[in-house]
Amino acid sequence: MNAVSAPEDLAVPVIRMRGISKHFGGVTALENVDLDAYAGRVLAIVGDNGAGKSTLIKILTGVHQPSSGTITIDDESLVLDNHSDAIALGIDAVYQTLALADHLDPAANMFLGSELTRRFFGIPFLDNRKMRKEAERVLDERLGVKLRSMNVAAESLSGGQRQAIAIARAVYHSDLRVLVMDEPTAALGPQETARTLKLIKVLREEGLAIILISHSLDDVFEVADQVQVMRRGRRVGVVNTADSSSQEVLGMIVGAGAEGETS
Amino acid sequence: MSTQESTLAAVSAGRSWQERLEPYLAIVGPLAMIAMILAFMAVVEPARYFRLSNLNIILLEAALYMPMAMAMTFVITQRGIDLSIGSVAALTGIIMAFAIKQYGFPAWVAVGMALMIGGTFGLINGLVITRFKVPDLIGTLAMDLVYRGFALVLAKGLVLARFPDLITDIGRGRISGFLPIPVLIGLITFIVGAIVLRKTWFGRYSIAIGSNPESAEMTGIAVDRYKVYAYVLMGAMAGLAGVMLTGKLNAIQATSAPYFNLHVIAAVVVGGTSLFGGRAYMLGSLAGVLLLSLMINALVTLRIEFFWQSVASGVVIILSVGLYTWLQKKDRDGSKGVLASLSTPDNRKLFKLAAVLILGIVSLIVLGFVFATTTTGSG
Ligand SMILES: Nc1ncnc2c1ncn2[C@@H]1O[C@H](COP(=O)(O)OP(=O)(O)OP(=O)(O)O)[C@@H](O)[C@H]1O
Ligand SMILES: [Mg+2]
Repeated sequence: MNAVSAPEDLAVPVIRMRGISKHFGGVTALENVDLDAYAGRVLAIVGDNGAGKSTLIKILTGVHQPSSGTITIDDESLVLDNHSDAIALGIDAVYQTLALADHLDPAANMFLGSELTRRFFGIPFLDNRKMRKEAERVLDERLGVKLRSMNVAAESLSGGQRQAIAIARAVYHSDLRVLVMDEPTAALGPQETARTLKLIKVLREEGLAIILISHSLDDVFEVADQVQVMRRGRRVGVVNTADSSSQEVLGMIVGAGAEGETS
Repeated sequence: MSTQESTLAAVSAGRSWQERLEPYLAIVGPLAMIAMILAFMAVVEPARYFRLSNLNIILLEAALYMPMAMAMTFVITQRGIDLSIGSVAALTGIIMAFAIKQYGFPAWVAVGMALMIGGTFGLINGLVITRFKVPDLIGTLAMDLVYRGFALVLAKGLVLARFPDLITDIGRGRISGFLPIPVLIGLITFIVGAIVLRKTWFGRYSIAIGSNPESAEMTGIAVDRYKVYAYVLMGAMAGLAGVMLTGKLNAIQATSAPYFNLHVIAAVVVGGTSLFGGRAYMLGSLAGVLLLSLMINALVTLRIEFFWQSVASGVVIILSVGLYTWLQKKDRDGSKGVLASLSTPDNRKLFKLAAVLILGIVSLIVLGFVFATTTTGSG
C-alpha cells in the first residue's frame, strides 16, 4: 500500500464522513463531525466519556442513521440502512460491548449474521462443522488463539478470548476494507493488550483502514498514524502522531489548549 | 503460555462434571420427576394408572400439546411469551368447524385453513409486539381476549360436533400396531423443531436474540422479523392444536382450550428452556409435555378435583423456574450456605412482614369465630 508513504494531501481517503450530526430525542450526540480514514493507516479517535465516539462509528457501520451529513466510500456516496449494508461494503466493527451472544459457542458467534450453509435438496442448512473448523483455523492462524474447547458457551470464556472471537468475526471476511475497533483493549491485561496492538499493526500492513477508539493514549501513540479528538459531540482537531505528543492531545481532549471551542 | 494452559486444564478438571452434565440437565430434571410420579403411582394406584388404555389417554393428551410446546420453545428462547394460544386454538377450531358444517368445505381444505389462519393470528401477535411495541406479556394477553371474544361471537353457546374422518383421525386416530396419529404428528413437529433449532438461521438467531438482543441487532440480525417468525410458527401450531382438539373430542366450542397457555409454558420451562432467553432445549420441552400429562393424569386417577390441576401447573412453573435459576447462579458465584443467605437483614425484615400478616389473619379468624352469629349454621 503506497498510501502509507504518500503525502497526506495526495492520498484519497477510503471513508469520508462530512457534516455528520446525530440527535437522540433531545440529546445531541454529534454535531457537524467530519472523518477521513485511509487505507493502510490507523486513525485513532479519542475523547472523554460521552464525547460521541461510539455514536460516530456506529453511524459508519450502519447501526445508527445520521440525522444529517454524508458518508462516501471511494468517493461514492453511501446510505447505510443497517449493519448488513456496511458489512457488504467491507466495513465492519468490533464493538465496545463485543456484541457476542453469550449462550452460543465460539464458532456460532464468529459467524453470527453471516453463517456458512450447505444445501440439502435446495434448502440451505447451517454447516456447523465447517463453521467450527474455520473458526478454529482463523483464531489460530490470524490471532494466535487456541481455545481449550470449541464446545462451550461464549459466556464461559475470558475477556481476551471473547475479544478474539469478536475480532475474528470482523477479519474473517476477505473483502474487509475498513475495520472499526471500539476500545478493544479496555478490558484486557497487558499481555493481551500487546497482542491486540500487534494484530492492529498486522492488519494495517495488509492495507486495511483501521479506526481505533481508545482511552489509552499510550496505545494510541504506539499504533495510530493520526488522532482525531472529539469533545461534546464535535471534532476539535486531527493531529499526526509523528508530530504531536500525548500532552498536546490530552490538552485537546479536556479543552485546555489553544482551541477556541471550549465555550 | 504452558502454565496458563495447565491452570486452565486444572480449572476444567475441577468443574468438568458440572460442565459435562449441563447439556443433559434439562432432560435429567423432568426425567427424574417423571420417575418420581411413576414410582408414586406404582405404589398407590398401579392397576388403573398403568392400564394400556390409560397410557393411551396420557399419550393422546400429551400429543395435543407437543406442536405448541415445540413452537413455544422458540418464542421463549427469544425472551418472548405467548399467552393467546388457547384462544387461537379455540377460534381456529371454530372457524374450521363452520367451514365444514355450514359451508360444506372439504375437510382437508378446512384443516389447511386452520393452520394458515392460526399463523395469521400469530402474525398479528408478532406485529403488535414488534411494531406497536406492546410488551409481549400484555400484547398477547390482550389478543387472547380478542380471539376469545371472536370465538364467542361466532359460536355463541353452540357446541359444534361430529366431524369428517380426517379431523377425528388427526385428533385420535391410530395407525394399527403403531402409534396414535396425533402422537406421530406431535413427534414429527418436535423432530422438525429440533432440526430447525440447530440447523437453520431461524434457530440460530432465536438463540442469539434471546441471549442478547442488542448484540443480535448489532451483528445485523433482523431481530423484529425473526421475532415475528416465531409468533407465526406459534400461531400455526396453536391452529394445529385447534384441529387436534376438535378431532380428539369430535366437538369444539368457544370456551374450549382455556389453560393451553400456562400448560404449554410450564412444559417448556420444566424442560430447561430459560424464560430469560438464550437457552433452548427441544428434547426438554418434549419431556416437559410428557411430565405434565403424566402428572395431570395421575391427579385424575387419584380422583383429585379438576381444579387442583391449575394449582399443580402453577406450582410446577414456579418450582422449575426457581430451580434452574438457582442452579445457574450457584455455579457462577460458588456455593454459599442456604441458611447464611436466608439470614440477611433484608430477609429478616421480610420474615417479620410475613409474620405480621399471618398473625393478622389468625387473629381475624379468631375474632370471626368469637363474634360469629349462628344464622348460617342450618343454611
Ligand atoms: N442509543 C442512544 N440513545 C440516546 N442517547 C444516546 C444513545 N447512544 C448514545 N447516546 C448519547 O450520545 C452521547 C455520546 O455517546 P457515545 O456512546 O457516542 O459516547 P462515547 O464517546 O463512546 O463515550 P465512552 O467513552 O463512554 O464510550 C452521550 O451523551 C450518550 O448519552
Ligand atoms: Mg463508547
